[in-house]
Amino acid sequence: MNQKKVLSGFYVLLLSVMLVAGGVSSASAAAGTINVGALNDMTGATSDVGKDYALGIAEAIHYVNDTGGINGKMIKLHQFDYGYRVPEALTKYKLFQRLGCVAVLGWGTGDTEALSPTVTKDKMPYISASYSGHLTDPKKTPYNLFFATDYSTNARASITAWFDKKWPKHKDFGKRKPRFACSYMFASPYASAPIKAIKDQATILGFDIGADQDVSLFAIDTKSQMLAMKEFKADLIWHGNTTMSVSATIRDAYSLGVGADHIVNLWGLDENLPKLAAKAAEGTMGAAVCAFFGEKVPGMDKVVEYAKKYNPGIPADKRLIRTVQAWGDVLILREAMIRADKAGKLDGESILKLGFETMNNFDIGLGAPPVTFTATDHRVAGIVPVYEVKDGKFVLVEKVDLKGRWPEKWATDWIGW
Amino acid sequence: MSTTFLPCGVYHENYKQDHAWWQTKFIKSKMFLLFITLFFIIPWMSDSYSLSICNQIGYTILGALGVQLLIGFCGQVTLGHAAFLAVGAYVSTLLVLEFPWPAVFIELGLAYPISIFIAAITAGLWSVLFGLPSARVKGFYLILTTMAAQFITVDFIITQYVSQIGGRGQAFSLPLGTIKVGPWAWGVIDSDIKIYYMMIVLTIICVVGVVNLLRSRVGRAWVAIRDNDISAEVMGIDIIKYKLLAFFVAGFIGGIAGAVWISNLAAISPEHFPWFWSLWLVGVILIGGVGSIHGTIFGSIFMVVVMELLQMAVMPLADTYPKLLMDFLFIKEAAFGLAICAFLIFEPNGLAYRWWQAKNYFNLWPFSY
Repeated sequence: MNQKKVLSGFYVLLLSVMLVAGGVSSASAAAGTINVGALNDMTGATSDVGKDYALGIAEAIHYVNDTGGINGKMIKLHQFDYGYRVPEALTKYKLFQRLGCVAVLGWGTGDTEALSPTVTKDKMPYISASYSGHLTDPKKTPYNLFFATDYSTNARASITAWFDKKWPKHKDFGKRKPRFACSYMFASPYASAPIKAIKDQATILGFDIGADQDVSLFAIDTKSQMLAMKEFKADLIWHGNTTMSVSATIRDAYSLGVGADHIVNLWGLDENLPKLAAKAAEGTMGAAVCAFFGEKVPGMDKVVEYAKKYNPGIPADKRLIRTVQAWGDVLILREAMIRADKAGKLDGESILKLGFETMNNFDIGLGAPPVTFTATDHRVAGIVPVYEVKDGKFVLVEKVDLKGRWPEKWATDWIGW
Repeated sequence: MSTTFLPCGVYHENYKQDHAWWQTKFIKSKMFLLFITLFFIIPWMSDSYSLSICNQIGYTILGALGVQLLIGFCGQVTLGHAAFLAVGAYVSTLLVLEFPWPAVFIELGLAYPISIFIAAITAGLWSVLFGLPSARVKGFYLILTTMAAQFITVDFIITQYVSQIGGRGQAFSLPLGTIKVGPWAWGVIDSDIKIYYMMIVLTIICVVGVVNLLRSRVGRAWVAIRDNDISAEVMGIDIIKYKLLAFFVAGFIGGIAGAVWISNLAAISPEHFPWFWSLWLVGVILIGGVGSIHGTIFGSIFMVVVMELLQMAVMPLADTYPKLLMDFLFIKEAAFGLAICAFLIFEPNGLAYRWWQAKNYFNLWPFSY
């Protein structure tokens, strides 16, 4: 048999295995189980933070099933990697429908916003890792939910915390306005989602706002952008990308002597940032929506236990806050499903109306603020804890009470963007 | 002359006979069956997921068709075709969302069809702009200039400027019901089946259009340029004109692809048109068969369906071997590269050649010797 025939045979065999396995995975789960879909990025542009989140989703679902599931019914998780490619996300969503999923644990802002009108039409609760402020207004996106404070709220809180705590210590305080600029990937809906809110907050606080700098999510060299920041003499830079890109940017700012302080959006702020940016990361601030992995807070023991149990090959010091965030999203979904199931209906509309929207200061633990959803507001909390890197560790700087400080703007102006 | 089967031997006396569509009743029957399958059986048998796969195949065919025309028929290698898809998508989106259409156009559902046409023209002209260097450079140098199309168009112009129009930020929202074709209530494009029908009609129109072009004087000029541009010029072909025409047609079809794809999206951002997609489209024609329209279709089906199956094959195994979730998923990306390598080494003529072999086998059966 020649080489070509052997290869052809192997190829046919491979295709057959795929067809069979594909067919098996298309079949619905057994009766008495609840199908939940999960769409993760383990190989794409945001996989630096997406892999840990994906592991956290699977581990949290194991925990839910081990502790009685949804009133005795087990969850069958259908977890897919879509490589951060929007067309694949759209297709996978249809697959979740075929599989009879009652809810979806989604990922990025691009796919979440692209799917938003569809999930609204289908009445499919879509609990995403995108905490875009655009998804918090139930009038527009009723079925988009998450356990965390949104990017816009976090950015407003971080800027405010810097303005309160650091700017008064600056040598130019009282002499001029603080200078502020943003560094993020313009093309990324995730990174650009809170820009309007950021500029609004900077204006409210009286910043001098400079030109935005376009930094790729894949960036390893950002010197030209940081030189522009240096020329502007920025006092504060907001970074909107994920950890790899943000650490490269902060390192470049440090080596070029930009002299600005840094605040970072959620997906750029994790345990890897001080490791990758080392000294350059000192003093970096940002809002964390829950405790970091392994911190001593209620519920963290289970997160650590299940990480060890189901992924023993990954040392605990390599695990990130992303795992905890995944647990946060799974735990609010579990609570919503339990409430809907107790009320007698476990469909999308019931999970939203009888589940999520009945949560009032519901405490999921994990160092996250208590969660409240109402029929008119899907922002979970108005108080945001802001952290700072000190000696390579994250320490709490301030809990910024946006709702208390700007009650009217919070109630009406700031929702949905 | 229309018989059930062609007789042995070639009896054509002129180009018209040689290049005629559907020369026998047998072929006409096959085409009729294909029509029934595409327009009735597939929509009838498919659920939303299968239809979305079909729509993705249609989008890939439309995208790859222009790449096939440039690389496979005119010999102009391109690695920036996603840029023209993006131009098509953005122009049609902007026209639908921002242009002050007269009420009668909205009522008659003409805004979107007109926007598709304008988007295609714009993408075609934009493609010509980046095809201009083909007058001077070819091969690797042309690849670089076409790559520039991607970075200048998507990463610079669309991201920095076009996306800012309307003040929404980086993404344009296209709420359900925004896109309407025709004056009828069911003309609102709000379901997979409607997208499927629109996609299939436009794909057929584009495929038939390109095949017809290839049968014409223009097509023969492109093939001559592909085979040897110097000889073509010696024969009197204006190679710059025909190269630019190829870029225009490729961009035009790419513009249609982008404009149609927005009907499948609720929001559009530059992230939807990464450079990887340009590379992907080249992979599609390499696997399907360079220089073959069949190849474009087979390549698109292969790439979309195989990737779906690969993904689904991994997930059940991950229940038993959780580590696969982390490690084995890379095979999905690796499979794409591996498939291209394998086809280049073992089947450089692509799936189209296998199709041709299979067809010949059955045509000659049982006396194939």
